[in-house]
Amino acid sequence: MENEIKKDSKSPKPYWNPYLAGLGLGLVLLASFVIMGRGLGASGAMSSAVAAGVSVVAPGHAMSNEFYKEYLGDGTKNPLKDWLVFEVIGVFVGGFLSGTFSHRIKRSVEKGPQYTDKKRFVFAFVGGILMGFGAKLGRGCTSGQALTGGSMLNLGSWAFMLCVFAGAYAFAYFVRRQWL
Amino acid sequence: MNELVITRMNHLIDPNLHIWGWEVPVYLFFGGLVAGIMIISGYFIVTHKYKAENSALTFLPYLGIILISVGMGSLFLDLEHKLFTWRMYTAFMWKSPMSWGAWILMLVYPILLILSFIKISPMIGALIPGLYKISERINKPNILKALGILSISIGALLGLYTGVLLSAFGARPAWNSAMLWIIFLTSGLSAAAALIHMIAKNKDERELLAKSDNVLLIIEFVLILLYLVGLLTSSQVSNDAAMLLINGKFAAIFWIFVVGIGIIIPLIIQLSAVTHRIKHTSVGPILVLFGGLMLRFIIVAVGQYSHWSSAVLK
Amino acid sequence: MSPFYKFGYFGDEASFIIAFITGIGFGFFLEKGGFGSGNKLAAQFYFKDLTVFKVMFTAIITAMLGIFFLGAFGLMDISMVYTTDTFMIPQIVGGLLLGLGFVVGGYCPGTSIVSCSIGRIDPIFYVIGIFVGIFIYGEVYPFISGFANSTPMGRITIPEYFNISYGIIVFLVVLMAIGGFIGSEWVEKKYGYKKGDGK
Repeated sequence: MENEIKKDSKSPKPYWNPYLAGLGLGLVLLASFVIMGRGLGASGAMSSAVAAGVSVVAPGHAMSNEFYKEYLGDGTKNPLKDWLVFEVIGVFVGGFLSGTFSHRIKRSVEKGPQYTDKKRFVFAFVGGILMGFGAKLGRGCTSGQALTGGSMLNLGSWAFMLCVFAGAYAFAYFVRRQWL
Repeated sequence: MNELVITRMNHLIDPNLHIWGWEVPVYLFFGGLVAGIMIISGYFIVTHKYKAENSALTFLPYLGIILISVGMGSLFLDLEHKLFTWRMYTAFMWKSPMSWGAWILMLVYPILLILSFIKISPMIGALIPGLYKISERINKPNILKALGILSISIGALLGLYTGVLLSAFGARPAWNSAMLWIIFLTSGLSAAAALIHMIAKNKDERELLAKSDNVLLIIEFVLILLYLVGLLTSSQVSNDAAMLLINGKFAAIFWIFVVGIGIIIPLIIQLSAVTHRIKHTSVGPILVLFGGLMLRFIIVAVGQYSHWSSAVLK
Repeated sequence: MSPFYKFGYFGDEASFIIAFITGIGFGFFLEKGGFGSGNKLAAQFYFKDLTVFKVMFTAIITAMLGIFFLGAFGLMDISMVYTTDTFMIPQIVGGLLLGLGFVVGGYCPGTSIVSCSIGRIDPIFYVIGIFVGIFIYGEVYPFISGFANSTPMGRITIPEYFNISYGIIVFLVVLMAIGGFIGSEWVEKKYGYKKGDGK
């Protein structure tokens, strides 16, 4: 009888020890360096998607814009057939697999108790816009610059990473009601 | 008289002429799916599983009719001379897989319709009470057994003829493999098992379908490997065609979307669900359906890309 | 000799398959560490839960040590490894913007994908926001390209810039990280969520 109850209880498992998770992450990152000669990333895939989207809707404009052109090349290659795009698809699958086996799949909204879902969605959207813009200026996001560039001791990456933490801590007070 | 002769060794035709767009793969997918639905329905009838309380057989025939109509609609969109469709039904060319297909599809509709009379759901029965009378007349053991076997047979024919259709094309080495019919049939069965597992209400049916889908996924994976082995050990052009899928132009999307996301990931999810390590989730079946669709798309695309010119040009 | 791809051991198509598999590993460990949860990520910046710092820096020093020792033993040609050029001012501004976006949005691009994959709804808006943000950048790029490409320093690392040996910098970073970990444990004990908080 007890075994049956154990089997049925699909409560979320606790998170891994952060140092262990970090070690796993670091090994994946190292493997990527060893095998591919490049690290991980995320924002680059989204840039490819935006460039692909713009080129479908307004090809002339896309080709004449220096930024999109970087992702479109001479027009023969599909911008979505890009290393980072496949990597990000993998991130989605990997996150899902981990969540499934840890029973953490749940349709919910991550926010503090003081905010409504709708308010949270607005903030998430605005945060995303800031992130998108900042990631392009910074030549990457925390995955590409902080993790990858950080482990390569890239100067700009460390400057970027320190600024991310500085900026986040500096502005955290002003949005504290969303989380606390 | 001016006579123009074009060979395939024309750079505008070979290898760039891509005649079949999205319409054909979509039709092939729905064809396989309905084939699987027919086989599973027939199986439920022959093994008397349909008698269970909320057996899926109450809605499977309707689902089959809707899905095959969507598929045929897609096929119709692909036709160049749409108004001449009726000509397919004025003759039966036994050497042409397309002719076979046209007539098999003719049989699919009436069979599904008759199957829909076997078990009437209360909702439909309330709308059309006359159905219960027909149901009584059909529900005799001999007739049911015959219907079940007929459904399985025509379903199997539907599932495999799509593969035969492609493999009959000698000029496209990637299609010219004897493995294609069984791959499409297995893929269609697997997709149907996944779909029905997702929407069926009867718990026993769901368990059975989940377990059989896992077996079918493994078989499908092995068949794909055998298909590649067959091409690799055949002529040089077949070898080139197989290499397109192994490390050529289509390799990444084939291994990631068809094999990875379409077979292996759902297999992991569904095996864990069946052994009760995780809750039953509809993500597995959705990925199986996605994988089946991608399989059709990629096989159609890689087939049209593979060609015999490489043997000559070298 | 690694990196294998740069030495031609396999081609582009295979590299995409490796990208997919690498991504699976990436997403897997991110989720295991709890980075699919915006609450957990944001908690870092209120000193309640410093998992972000711990995971990030453990990963960085793991990979950094790996690269250093593989390079030292002659098993990896570090010069063949791709890393972005440095543009100091734009990267500083970008970093500050990213920090702001992090606490407002609650994710970074990678973790937002992980969060979407485990069913959360808010990161979907976040991802759409990223697309919009990149689109805005693309549209204004012709006007700001001067700024965006200012202070270029090319491919430069910390050892090169400060003219200190690679090994010493690695050692200092490890020391700093360990100091940070000890500090994090102390901060979490003092300010972090207590056991009964339900976090």
